[in-house]
Amino acid sequence: MLQKQTSRWVNLGFQFLAILVALAFTTLLLVLSGAPPIQAYKELILGAFGSIDNVSNVLIAWAPLLITTAGLLVTFAAGLWNIGIEGQITLGAIFTTWVLRSFENSSLSPTMIIILSIVAGMFGGMLWASLVGVLKTFGGVNEIFGGLGLNFIASTLVLYLIYGPWRRPGVASLSGTEIFPNRLWLPSISNLGISPWAFALGILGILIIYFFLRGTYIGLKLKAIGKNIRSAHTLGIPTWQYMMLSFMICGLFAGLTGALQVTNVYHRLLPYITSGYGFLGLLVAMLINYQAIWVAPITLFYVALNVGSVQLPIALKLDSNLSGVLQGFLVLFVLLMEGVRQKLTRKV
Amino acid sequence: MQVELHDIHKTFGPVYANKGLTLVVPSGMIQGILGENGAGKSTLMKILSGFIQADRGEIILNGKQVVIKSPADAIKHGIGMLHQDPLDFPPMQILDNFLIGHSGGIFPQKIKAKREFLNLAKEFGFSLDPNNYVDALTVGERQQLEIMRLLWLGVDVLILDEPTTGISAEQKKKLFETLRKLAAGGKTIIFVSHKLEDVGDLCARVAVLREGELVGSMEPPFDNEKLVEMMFGKVIVQPQLQTIKPGECVLEMRDVAIEDYRLKMSEINLEAYAGEVIGLAGMEGSGQSLFLKACAGLLRPVGGAVYVHNENMTGKVYRSFLQRGVAYLPASRLEEGLVPGLTLSEHFCLADGNTGFFIDRKQNLALTNTRIKDFNIHGLATTPVESLSGGNQQRALLALLKDKLSLILLEHPTRGLDIESAIYIWRKLKARCNDGTAIIFISSDLEEVLNYSDRILVFFSGRVSRPIRADKTNVEELGELIGGRGWTKLAT
Amino acid sequence: MNKNLLWRSFAMLIVATFLVTACAPAATSTPAPTVAPTSAPAPTTAPTTAPTSAAAPTTAPTSGAAPTAAPTAAPTPTVAVAPTVAATGAASGTPITIGEILVGPHNDTGWSQATYEGLQYVQSKLPGTKLIYIDNAFNYQGTTPAQLAEQLLAQGANVIVFNSDSFMDDSNTFAAAHPTIPVIMLSGDQNWAEGQDYKNIPNMIDIMGQMEYMKEIAGCAAALTTQTGKIGFLGPLINPETRRLASSAFLGAEYCWTKVLNKNASDLSFDVTWIGNWFNVPGQTLDPTQVADQFFNSGHDVVISGIDTTEALQEAKKMTDNGMKVFAIPYDYHAACDVAPSVCLGVPYFNWGPALLTNIKAIQDGTWKPHFEWNPPDWAHFNNPDYGAVGFNEGPALTAANKATLDKFISDLAGGLDLWTGPITLQDGTVYVQAGVAATPQQIWYLPQLLKGMTGASK
Repeated sequence: MLQKQTSRWVNLGFQFLAILVALAFTTLLLVLSGAPPIQAYKELILGAFGSIDNVSNVLIAWAPLLITTAGLLVTFAAGLWNIGIEGQITLGAIFTTWVLRSFENSSLSPTMIIILSIVAGMFGGMLWASLVGVLKTFGGVNEIFGGLGLNFIASTLVLYLIYGPWRRPGVASLSGTEIFPNRLWLPSISNLGISPWAFALGILGILIIYFFLRGTYIGLKLKAIGKNIRSAHTLGIPTWQYMMLSFMICGLFAGLTGALQVTNVYHRLLPYITSGYGFLGLLVAMLINYQAIWVAPITLFYVALNVGSVQLPIALKLDSNLSGVLQGFLVLFVLLMEGVRQKLTRKV
Repeated sequence: MQVELHDIHKTFGPVYANKGLTLVVPSGMIQGILGENGAGKSTLMKILSGFIQADRGEIILNGKQVVIKSPADAIKHGIGMLHQDPLDFPPMQILDNFLIGHSGGIFPQKIKAKREFLNLAKEFGFSLDPNNYVDALTVGERQQLEIMRLLWLGVDVLILDEPTTGISAEQKKKLFETLRKLAAGGKTIIFVSHKLEDVGDLCARVAVLREGELVGSMEPPFDNEKLVEMMFGKVIVQPQLQTIKPGECVLEMRDVAIEDYRLKMSEINLEAYAGEVIGLAGMEGSGQSLFLKACAGLLRPVGGAVYVHNENMTGKVYRSFLQRGVAYLPASRLEEGLVPGLTLSEHFCLADGNTGFFIDRKQNLALTNTRIKDFNIHGLATTPVESLSGGNQQRALLALLKDKLSLILLEHPTRGLDIESAIYIWRKLKARCNDGTAIIFISSDLEEVLNYSDRILVFFSGRVSRPIRADKTNVEELGELIGGRGWTKLAT
Repeated sequence: MNKNLLWRSFAMLIVATFLVTACAPAATSTPAPTVAPTSAPAPTTAPTTAPTSAAAPTTAPTSGAAPTAAPTAAPTPTVAVAPTVAATGAASGTPITIGEILVGPHNDTGWSQATYEGLQYVQSKLPGTKLIYIDNAFNYQGTTPAQLAEQLLAQGANVIVFNSDSFMDDSNTFAAAHPTIPVIMLSGDQNWAEGQDYKNIPNMIDIMGQMEYMKEIAGCAAALTTQTGKIGFLGPLINPETRRLASSAFLGAEYCWTKVLNKNASDLSFDVTWIGNWFNVPGQTLDPTQVADQFFNSGHDVVISGIDTTEALQEAKKMTDNGMKVFAIPYDYHAACDVAPSVCLGVPYFNWGPALLTNIKAIQDGTWKPHFEWNPPDWAHFNNPDYGAVGFNEGPALTAANKATLDKFISDLAGGLDLWTGPITLQDGTVYVQAGVAATPQQIWYLPQLLKGMTGASK
């Protein structure tokens, strides 16, 4: 027991070291590009938390990333790389937009329409995810390649819809469909964009996944498949069915993300409706070693970086992609440190 | 080249693989090395060919002591090894494969190499097209290619590890011819095998290894009985006689045919009865694993029919077998049986056959603790399975089995376990038999097979014997059978 | 009956309040805010009062008749919004920090740079004014332009400028969420009381220049130069703005082809290809480089660009270097010809400085009002950066003869020539403006289709 305790501290130490190294490298980069690092970090933090508006903007972006990452934990648990997550978010957004458009002028109450559209979005994401599963199970297509292909199809589809059947009247522009009227927006707090509903869905999503992976038979079976598919098979777990299920659950969450992007963030369909949250979610999931407990804080940190980094070009004329560099460094060094730790502890 | 190995020691953890081995092979000799699986043959050959280093001992080539650090080093010293699975690079052209390892500058001289390749092929009568692709070759042809490659690299000592597994009789004949020709030309051949027949046909001298030690050496004419005795040790324990209680037929194989990429078996017939133990004997890779997988539904037979409790299960998946009370315990516990990273209690949770949605932790913990106690597993409910010892992993696998089973299929149930654990496991298994479960198991330990089986099937390169009653046979007869001898006598 | 009477008196009351508030010197009157959202009859009053109270037509394109009209004569829709001047974000005299959200890079030698330099002009004329900006606003994944504007507020901005039609929705969202911040929307029409999308946003100013004239000049230059009679128009996305600008270029080309060169109208082809956005977005839009190449390779020897960036000019240069004789006309930025002068016939550009200066000054003084303005060129001070909203810089590739002809055309425009006079026929053959009648500003702004004689998608 004692040994276990110390190894946990050693782990934490290594992770802390990884963060320090990532910060050091980013700082070096800042110095090299001629920017005062302290001020840059200060601007970053102020940009994320300096005002009510900014905090609200961080929270707006948090909900979708939180939900995406939560969903990805399910496929990761089953040992699957759901690269197709971007396409699944896109399909979620498309289905949500479709329902909103179809019922916009109906007699249904706006609440009903919004609920319906979110459910449709989740269904759309699930549908697209199960295609990845079908390709893998019945077509022998690795989920990474299947996912990439379906991502491409989804982004083509969204462009077609925006430029074609769903364009604004008299307009043909790739900049997006017509904005939905206010009543079809997810209700938000007065002048801030943040919707308590989106926020609640995000928290609820990660809680569900946490308990799902921890406390249910299905979750445990998925974990068994992810860790050793052959043994899982020997233990009598119907492996492909469960892998399919994990894709569908992840797709549900991705679809919800897409639905929130439409109903809470952009209020219309855009070409880059995913905001790259799918890939960012994959990155975060890797960073936290697929542990549900870390999803909420780390995704919050990542969106805060995203939002806060807008200040870099304004205040310091720096490229805002710098926050992306920091995000990448973090993942890289945490993984690297994990490798170093394993090597060192094994020797001992 | 004269090869001398002096006092070679090698341990893997607490296990002694080579225990002070000394062997001198004069040049131009075909030296056979016989031994059971795990006797230390492969370790010794890997040391000589540079794949691993000895803990102690010296290697002397033509009277000069050398240190061999890597396979490339070995080739520099003129030693080449032909592996059981010839190391090759499938998508390549044969000629490119042939050129690998050749130190000829950056740009290989393809035209010259091709000419030499064709000359070598002609000399040995191999018909290989240098422009063909390696993955189109049979195992025998790959072997031929590898021999040519090593000779072209200039080796004087050729080590062959179980070279006759998986090649046709024709190819075997050609291989032996080639080896004799090479020996006559002064090359030293070291031929590692567990097949008495092959060794007897080919070798000018045979050394027998057991438990990491050289237990004897023999020159023709070979006395097979004596060789078997040397291989397996002198102690022969009479099996505890147990009469077959004729119970219900739980498994029937009717004219079953199975095959994989290297083995083909057909016309397998077996009826297994409740309460019976059937042992499968044979050198590894002789077909017994395929047979066991076919019994479990993990391998689909290409012909015939499999019945469980008189229900035709041919072509059904493993889960259907499992639902009808057939359980399978693989040899590689952490690869195919247990899930590394999950704890003992999570395993019991998975195997429990639950139907609910949420896990009842309390109940699960109670079950886990009961099983841990019942099966004497040294570990806690929260222990990840990979940190259990081998014996405890095996006990855990047994503990995972459902209470009521018709048939348990086991691969090497006691391999790598200490005697105490082995006895414990068999006590548990026998208790199952008393409850009416049939057991079919694979073991390379002939004593174990004789001790615990009621009936025995012997496998030899794809051939399956009729069931032999354990009380009507002995270690010597089985040893001959698994070495490929005495099958004609058996058939009658 | 009673009810009817009640409605009528109520309506009268409202009209009266409107009149009072319109004449009163703003800021104090209280009834207006309550009127706008609640009163049902209000909409009926708006159209009737609008034409009379707002002298809008003075600034519309037809006002070419009055060439000296200063850009300050803005057609302020004083009717509905007058009292709600809520410029607390920039109380009178406080130093102004302008925050601009740009659709493209601030140095794109096109649309975005023109707006950015317009604000730099303001800075130079109003010492103490600060300018901060975010360009490439759509590159910030997960952050909407409205949210970006909030980041500018965090850096102290007290006036926000959105520089593109692409920000129409976001500027509305932002303005609603920040009612105390004056928002300037370039090319917007949300506050055009006579427009189709009137949203009556109390803290917004819409500014646009009457680029139609300059596009007519560009079209004329193209028609004078083309040897093949085939002119390509490299269009961005399709909306009313781009339709009217492409059509203006066509009108100019057709006029000079038939009236100046006396050639047959049917020998002129004017082909429009839309790429799908204001600039190249790889993977989404058509690649403008390829579209320009296709034009040149299919016999078009002049390409007029309608997009924010200068690909057409660069491709013309490349083609010329390879032995072709082709030309291009860029757009938006006064110095765009510098990218490839040898093939540049001229550039119709925006001169945002003067209009922005007037409005920012008003914001600083606290006298500003929400309104829409569509500013004309200043023919008397043509191409003078201190005057007029638009201009046309002739390019080095224009031959001397053509230059003379073009100058004549420009002075005709200054003298009152109005190409947006009927008969104007739409692409599908319907008559849009009757012969001899001048198109209204609304007809021009909200042109529903391309014109007859042009090829290319209208929607």
